[in-house]
Amino acid sequence: MRRLMRVYKALLQTAWATAVEYRAQAFLWILSSIFPLVMMVVWLAIVDEAGPLAGWGRADFISYYVGAAVVYQFTFVWSTWQWDEDIRTGNLSVKLLKPLDPFHYLFSEQIGWKVFTLLFIVPVVMVIAWLSPAIQYPLSLGRAAAFALSVIAALVLAMLMSCTFGVLAFWSTQVSNLYQLWIGVGSFLSGWIAPLALFPASIRQVAYLLPFRSTLGLPMEILMGRLAWPEIGFGFAVTCGWCVVFLVLYRILWRAGLKRYEAVGA
Amino acid sequence: MRNYLRLLTIFYKNTLVGELEYRLNFWANLALSLFWLTWAALSVRVYFFHTDTIAGWSYPEMLIVMGLFFFMNGYRQMVPEPNLSRLSEYVRMGTLDYILTKPVDSQFLISLRHIGVYNWGDPILGLGLAAYALWRLGRVPGPDQILLFVVLCVAGMVLLYSFSLILQTPTIWLVNVERVDAVVQGLLETGRFPIQFFRGWIRGMLTLIFPIAFMTTFPAQALLGQLNWGTAAAAIGLATLLFTLSSIFWRFALRYYTGASS
Amino acid sequence: MNIIHVDNLVKHYRVHHREAGLRGSVRSLFRRHYETVRAVDGISFDIAQGEIVGFLGPNGAGKTTTLKCLSGLLYPTAGQVTVLGFTPHRRERSYLTQFTLVMGQRNQLLWDLPAMETFLVNQAIYDVPEVEFREMLDELVALLNLEPLLTKQVRKLSLGERMKCELTASLLHRPQVLFLDEPTIGLDVTAQAAIRDFILAYNQRHNATVLLTSHYMADVTALADRILVIESGQLIYDGDLSGLVERTAPYKLLRLTLEKPVNGNDLLALGEIESADGLKVALRVPRRSTKDVAARALATLPIADLTVEEPSVEEIIREVFRKGGDHA
Repeated sequence: MRRLMRVYKALLQTAWATAVEYRAQAFLWILSSIFPLVMMVVWLAIVDEAGPLAGWGRADFISYYVGAAVVYQFTFVWSTWQWDEDIRTGNLSVKLLKPLDPFHYLFSEQIGWKVFTLLFIVPVVMVIAWLSPAIQYPLSLGRAAAFALSVIAALVLAMLMSCTFGVLAFWSTQVSNLYQLWIGVGSFLSGWIAPLALFPASIRQVAYLLPFRSTLGLPMEILMGRLAWPEIGFGFAVTCGWCVVFLVLYRILWRAGLKRYEAVGA
Repeated sequence: MRNYLRLLTIFYKNTLVGELEYRLNFWANLALSLFWLTWAALSVRVYFFHTDTIAGWSYPEMLIVMGLFFFMNGYRQMVPEPNLSRLSEYVRMGTLDYILTKPVDSQFLISLRHIGVYNWGDPILGLGLAAYALWRLGRVPGPDQILLFVVLCVAGMVLLYSFSLILQTPTIWLVNVERVDAVVQGLLETGRFPIQFFRGWIRGMLTLIFPIAFMTTFPAQALLGQLNWGTAAAAIGLATLLFTLSSIFWRFALRYYTGASS
Repeated sequence: MNIIHVDNLVKHYRVHHREAGLRGSVRSLFRRHYETVRAVDGISFDIAQGEIVGFLGPNGAGKTTTLKCLSGLLYPTAGQVTVLGFTPHRRERSYLTQFTLVMGQRNQLLWDLPAMETFLVNQAIYDVPEVEFREMLDELVALLNLEPLLTKQVRKLSLGERMKCELTASLLHRPQVLFLDEPTIGLDVTAQAAIRDFILAYNQRHNATVLLTSHYMADVTALADRILVIESGQLIYDGDLSGLVERTAPYKLLRLTLEKPVNGNDLLALGEIESADGLKVALRVPRRSTKDVAARALATLPIADLTVEEPSVEEIIREVFRKGGDHA
């Protein structure tokens, strides 16, 4: 365990150095993730037309989507693509020769990158939030801690889902596309297209049980103070449950896939 | 001119052969295009749970804009993006030197050499969606509306290309900057929705500076009979202007590259 | 003591077969045609500690496949492989920390950062104590002249410099067994010599066992006491180098570029004609008489250019195969 900590320390340093190296890219990436703000504009136009929806007014939508844009930066994981490439090109072999599970390379890379981009975004957003009367996050210390925890849990879950799809690349060439489908469907059920509160109750019930909400909707609802503690607890339980499911799935597929990789060659 | 057309045929035939090798990809990409189109249509449907019109646009009318967004985005992924995003690689690897020594216009080569064949689903399905939406509305555009539409589409495509080229050209100086196309991609996302959704300075910016309005909203309005020849003329003018500017900028950058200007 | 034991190793693949052209690609959209490639078809050998063994063979002969089986990257179709007492494909951690595989075509170095960063990551992954790490690093830096390279970004290094850094990254954990797959490919002459000297030095200092594949005769001449020749998945020679060369290619190639055409008989007087293409002629000349024949050629023929070459690895191997194989 201590060895793993040392390894992560080294890997995170490298991930950070790489992110710094690619800072121009990071800037462009931030600049181009404009979509949540576009969606926000649409919702504001709707509110102007039809008044508050399910108790959500202009200020709520602004708070939600600005926060969601930040949380999204932190929880969007693209490791599937790396798995796909490594397996397809045979570069996985280079990682396999090392006494370290490839998962750790990818996870540390994600963390490094996210910490780096957030270092820019969070101060900017905090200033905007402070200056703009529309953006309100009624936070107590407890809720802030719950929010932070939920975001970390969201990253872990997103990572596990991404890797589960990633190791499918041992069998399929369409893994990146499959992951896109997963994310696409998930975007409805996570609270991305519309806050979950705006969906009919039946759909909402389903969404509360699926893993997607844990990656965006849950942290945002905690941040906006719209959940009572039992509800927060339930959300965390669902998140943990799905983490276990995907962890198990990932390990099984990884073992089986490795056998296949070694039988077939790169 | 004929020589250039021949060149294009050769370029694209080679790409096609290469792409067909990955047969699963071929079908999968079509399926994926269909998925994202459906996803977009459904996500817009969610908005209309709560209202019948938004800024004067009904659901089918918005679908036309969405369909044209897919058309433009698909075009972007087929032509401007695969070509211009290679510019940084050309400069880094020295391939640009080869390009400049060929007896073919350099702008032609860097802009049309490649084609993203695997994105063929998006433009076709996008137009399909727009046609479906028109059918839902029970509207059949008359011949001059269609003509307006075509003029605006072409103008939009030229604008998108010119814009991408202007953004990519600084790679000649900055070399290591990649994925500048992410900015274009991000801006085009605003084209999913009619320009009327945006207000104030944003609408102005998206009409005159990054002319996204010309790419999806105005062609849609042409089909709906809401556009006049004045706007069309503006579109043609703007497209010509931006194309000329992008060409000039490109040649200016080349002079720097070859050391002609100090 | 045998470090590496290979017993009747077999490795087969299935690949899909495609015709060229547009029609072929459209057809492959709907139907596929598979065939089995017998990459390795039953080879056996043993290697003792401290040996440097050269693994020769033309492209596609099965060299890389064998190395991958020994490193645990591939699961044998049949047969037994044991290295340091481990079964490689189980990929046990204790095995992974004791060997290294360096593939000339692939890199483990982090591209955008200085090589030193990769070294530090490897130190953590292999859990090398600080003192040993510094010792090993200093040794490798000295042997390979790495000092100026350590702080440069890897992508800015030349191919030769990168290879040196790759080797360093692979050896920091002081492995006992080295598998080197085409380590000098694409390098210039100076870099190749440096790598060869280095491998020899490492072997001597640490009594490491080295199995190296190569296309280049020079690699093998400089390093290997023992050669394994593999062709079409089978071992056709296992013995020492001098025996192989002497027996199978007791000749050198004299390449002449003539100033004007000459009588064929004049050429035959000097040696067997290997090939003749206009003014370029290649002659086979017995090793011992190469110098004399070259001198005579210069004296009697109108020669613009003359070079003396070793026969290529392919030729030597072809000769061995033609002679029905030989196991020493």
